[in-house]
Amino acid sequence: MSILKAAKLHKSYGNKNNKQHVLKGIDLSVEKGEFISIMGASGSGKTTLLNVLSSIDQVSEGTIHINSFEMTAMKERQLAEFRKNHLGFIFQDYNLLDTLTVKENILLPLSITKTSKKEAEKKFEHVATELGISEIKDKYPNEISGGQKQRTSAARAFIHEPSIIFADEPTGALDSKSASDLLNKLSGLNQNRQATILMVTHDPVAASYCSRVVFIKDGQIYTQLMKGEQDRQDFFKDIMKTQGVLGGVQHEH
Amino acid sequence: MNINQLIFRNLKKNLRNYYLYVFALVFSSALYFAFVTLQYDPSMDSVEGSVKGEAAIRAASILLVVIVSVFLLYANNIFIKRRSKEIGLFQLIGMTKGKIFRILSIENLFLYFGSLLIGIFAGFSFSKLMILVLFKTTGVDSIASLRFSPQALVQTILVFTAIYLLIMIMNYTFIKRQTILSLFRVTSSTEITVKKLSRFEMVMGIVGLVLITTGYIVSSKLFGGDFTTMPQLFGAMIFILAAVILGTYFFYKGSVSFLLNLARKRKGGYLSINEVMSLASVMFRMKSNALLLMIITTVSALSIALLCLAYISYYSAEKTAEKNVPHDFSIIDRDSADTFQAALEKNNIPYTEKSIEVIQVTVNASQLIDRSLEELVIDPKAMPLPLISEKSVSGMEVSPDEVVFTGYDDLLQKFMPLKNSGSIKIKGKTETLTQRYVGLEDIYPVSWYFTAGGVPTAIVDDAVFTKLKSDIDPKVQKESTLYIGIDIKNEEQLEEADKLFKSTETYKKLYNESRHEISTNQKKNMGLTMFIVGFLGLTFLVTSGCILYFKQMDEGGSEKPNYMILRKLGYTQSDLLKGIQYKQLFNFGIPLLIGLLHSYFAVQSGWFLFGAELWTPMIIVMVMYTILYSLFGVLSVLYYKKVVREAL
Repeated sequence: MSILKAAKLHKSYGNKNNKQHVLKGIDLSVEKGEFISIMGASGSGKTTLLNVLSSIDQVSEGTIHINSFEMTAMKERQLAEFRKNHLGFIFQDYNLLDTLTVKENILLPLSITKTSKKEAEKKFEHVATELGISEIKDKYPNEISGGQKQRTSAARAFIHEPSIIFADEPTGALDSKSASDLLNKLSGLNQNRQATILMVTHDPVAASYCSRVVFIKDGQIYTQLMKGEQDRQDFFKDIMKTQGVLGGVQHEH
Repeated sequence: MNINQLIFRNLKKNLRNYYLYVFALVFSSALYFAFVTLQYDPSMDSVEGSVKGEAAIRAASILLVVIVSVFLLYANNIFIKRRSKEIGLFQLIGMTKGKIFRILSIENLFLYFGSLLIGIFAGFSFSKLMILVLFKTTGVDSIASLRFSPQALVQTILVFTAIYLLIMIMNYTFIKRQTILSLFRVTSSTEITVKKLSRFEMVMGIVGLVLITTGYIVSSKLFGGDFTTMPQLFGAMIFILAAVILGTYFFYKGSVSFLLNLARKRKGGYLSINEVMSLASVMFRMKSNALLLMIITTVSALSIALLCLAYISYYSAEKTAEKNVPHDFSIIDRDSADTFQAALEKNNIPYTEKSIEVIQVTVNASQLIDRSLEELVIDPKAMPLPLISEKSVSGMEVSPDEVVFTGYDDLLQKFMPLKNSGSIKIKGKTETLTQRYVGLEDIYPVSWYFTAGGVPTAIVDDAVFTKLKSDIDPKVQKESTLYIGIDIKNEEQLEEADKLFKSTETYKKLYNESRHEISTNQKKNMGLTMFIVGFLGLTFLVTSGCILYFKQMDEGGSEKPNYMILRKLGYTQSDLLKGIQYKQLFNFGIPLLIGLLHSYFAVQSGWFLFGAELWTPMIIVMVMYTILYSLFGVLSVLYYKKVVREAL
């Protein structure tokens, strides 16, 4: 069953005279429980794609369905409603509220949906042990390390069990140890909870943790790689190879 | 793009952002110009007649300048910090510091003197209104005609140019001191640091609350009789001031976070949107603005209290006059009364007369009064009191062995409270009578000539009175033993009667008084005070409201990323806006509430020195202040609305 279905996405910025075509007809479908990553060079449109898929930005053309709701037809209010129930976010710069403790940050999505306090507590215990942040729950974001911040951010994305989680360069600001730690945790959650994760990254190592990698070039899907039965190292090599082909400036003939 | 265009564009952008600054500038220059115009206006002479109007208004205008310049310097400080990035950019592209300073100066010149010009123009139209208000409050009958005063114009321009130069010096030192790097960093360095509440802060929070509470408690006991000498009284006053001001500082520095932290702990990490936006942010931000908030709170408390007291005395002018002069006209000898009455009859003004025989007796009231302020030099064992017969007060029945006191001044009561029962000894020349004291009434039967301005009047049985009258001690008697009160039957004729009274010989004799005159004089005096305090208070309100608003603008800017996160999480704009309203309730409400509380206790402790009515005037002043002040809170919410909309 596909959770996300995007058809013929176009997105352009600017006015009539100076138009920047960023997405040029992207079709994408994500299955439930998939851990998928989108790769591409800077300016290839991957972040724009993530923004339109996650309802933060609007497409110029095309339709997006998540859980068979058509997102592209929704109003601002409905979108907020939709985000709170169906979407989770992890960002490169964590996006934690400085004035709230780790626990308060994580419980935010539950407080929007007005979940009962008891249930919230239960969910928190669960996700905090899974991500190993129970000990720091009463600390403020500037008292913990980057890796802990990102795990907090991940816990916030997972706690309300959204249909799909969008991660924008989650390992971008982390050192390699914290990064692999986080990725292990993410794929663990992906398997244990059947959580669907869509991640944007330009780090091949991060991408190798996924089950599928979609490459984007100049606003179009260039190719996809499936992990299949191979192990992570082999998959990593595949990704590297594809990236080698993909990268570099084309020579005009 | 050349420099001129750059300046012009900056100006346009700034006008949109800082309209409130421009408003405050226009407002304060208008007010200043109006004050100075009043000062030089010949029509002020009629107000001056009774009081030192010009001196008062001059003092007020100096205070006004102080408030305005502190405000402008502070506001400028905020603005230049906000623009530090822009300044850094100019430097990066190779502009010299001198040139940047020149750009800023020219920009400010336009903004500043443009507002000043509008201000002066508004001030001129405003001064006519002001003088009307002034005449109305002081009750002076004069036609408000105004001329444009070049003197006032020159003075206003000079004063504001001086402030402008001061601002420029500040800008210059700011630019001079900065390197390109630090300019880019200014905004981030002022950001708050979020840490767990330290034990030290908790102690400070508790100390703050304790200090304020002690200050309040001592203030309510100030005139309760615990402090009986002048040095003690002054000591207590200084203690209250210090405790409350220091307490306010600690309150913002520690107590707010301490209390909010307690509230937050109880939630167990599960915060609603309103709490996320208010509790969490207010908790940390108030701490970093503690000094500013303390100053704003203290000065607003001061201005509210002064306004309350001025209004109390204005409001109770008639009541006070009634206490001192119980009838429309109080006359203390037969001849004068006859002259006046003849005049009244001639002019067909009907009146009623009430004459009371008053003798002075020495009373030993040591059973009723066990303490007295040393400085008052009243000996409870031998107090001179006026004495009248029960017949002189309608409806009064006193048994032969009893005595009733009436009309004891509120203020004196604070220093020499009376016990509820006991007996007093009334000394005549030869005999001493012991009477049982049965109670205190609130009637003022005779004028203040007899009561020495405040001591109660004793009422006894008619027979006892006759007995004492035949045994009076000439040493303690006043010149007159007869009080004649005259009431005019038709109220419309009161002013006519007053004029008549002043034209007769009766008026020339000391202690023959007209209540109407006393109350108008009081109104005149207090009216001017109220007028000045009122406008100063208004200026202060506007400037402090603006400062809080600017602070909120800053905060809005630095919290924008948070709003983005929250909106991505699925909060709608209206959710956030509700949270912001909640937050502004704290940001504006806490200083207001503390200011009101401070002024309430200040007024409460000493209002009886100023008048006879507490609640009505105090509530009117406080409600007005609250309404005007809330406007700034509303404006800040509107600003936040824009920030939230642009956040995603």
